[in-house]
Amino acid sequence: MPKEALFTDLIREHQGLLFKVTSIYTDNKQDQEDLFQEVVYQLWKYFDSFRNESKISTWMYRVGMNTAITHLKRKRRRPDSISIADTVIKETDITKDEIYEERLRLLYRQLKQLNTLDMGLIFLLLEGKRYKEIAEITGLEASNVGTRISRIKKKLKTNMNKL
Amino acid sequence: MELEELQSAWSQMSNELEHQKKLTNEIILNMTKEKYRNKFKTVTAYETLGACVCFCIAMLFLVKFGELDTWYLQLCGILSLSYLIILPILILKALRKIKTLNILKGTYKDNLSHFIKAKNRLLQLQQIGMGVGFLGLFFILPVFSKISSNKNIFQVGLKTEQLVLLSITLIVTAVFCIWAYKGYLRLTKSAQELLKDME
Repeated sequence: MPKEALFTDLIREHQGLLFKVTSIYTDNKQDQEDLFQEVVYQLWKYFDSFRNESKISTWMYRVGMNTAITHLKRKRRRPDSISIADTVIKETDITKDEIYEERLRLLYRQLKQLNTLDMGLIFLLLEGKRYKEIAEITGLEASNVGTRISRIKKKLKTNMNKL
Repeated sequence: MELEELQSAWSQMSNELEHQKKLTNEIILNMTKEKYRNKFKTVTAYETLGACVCFCIAMLFLVKFGELDTWYLQLCGILSLSYLIILPILILKALRKIKTLNILKGTYKDNLSHFIKAKNRLLQLQQIGMGVGFLGLFFILPVFSKISSNKNIFQVGLKTEQLVLLSITLIVTAVFCIWAYKGYLRLTKSAQELLKDME
């Protein structure tokens, strides 16, 4: 199969993953779309260097998150996350589920209050990744990942209890 | 509200996204190409605008060419027209060549070599443009003076204030050329970095 076809299949298959990575690191639809484009471009650039030493999704998370963090450094971060949460709600098209919408808004609000690394760790945890894989994606030690995540969970719980 | 409840909203969103396949192959490939092309968007806009200005002045010179009544004014007219028409076309063509380089086709090495060739051509044209631009002032000015006020400056010469104005124009042009050329260098360097990253 030609390289282009392999690449487009990969992106199509994992577009949900890319959407999620790009939505947690941006504040509005326009910015999310720009970042999505940048991530696709970065994946293409490094496509040849993927060596099958890890799962393809692990590699995609790694490239996606690194690109997003670089993008975030360039942009001034705004704490208001309502706009991007609404974009996600619209994108997922789950209509008339107010509980879902409310939870998602709250989730994004909570995520955006975390620092870049903590936000990435919680994102991967929400994605159902085990500590070992999170360590592989972020480059941290697995034990360090565990310690950090339990600290973030406590922080999130405290924040949510305040609501 | 518990963390688990938030996790369930996330899972619900993930499931929904899993079923969506909105992107087509074309969109994906265009995204990749677009990112590269965007690097040249601003400079192309400025160059196109500059070319339009040059073409308008050339048109004016062409319409009023009959008013150039001596052989040396006619020679200045021809040189001015060549400068105002040929150089912008060459620059826009070189820019187009860089922009349309298909980074999805061929190997990295081929892409880089094509890019460097196109980049060198563009920079060379910019250098020629700047050099000729200075000379250009000396043959555009007599034509402009003849067309606008019917004065042959080869015969009447320049007044002190006109000489001062000419000197100021030369300095401003020099500063502008250096600034624009540095911008080009920065732009092409960053685009080259993009390609180098593909290694």
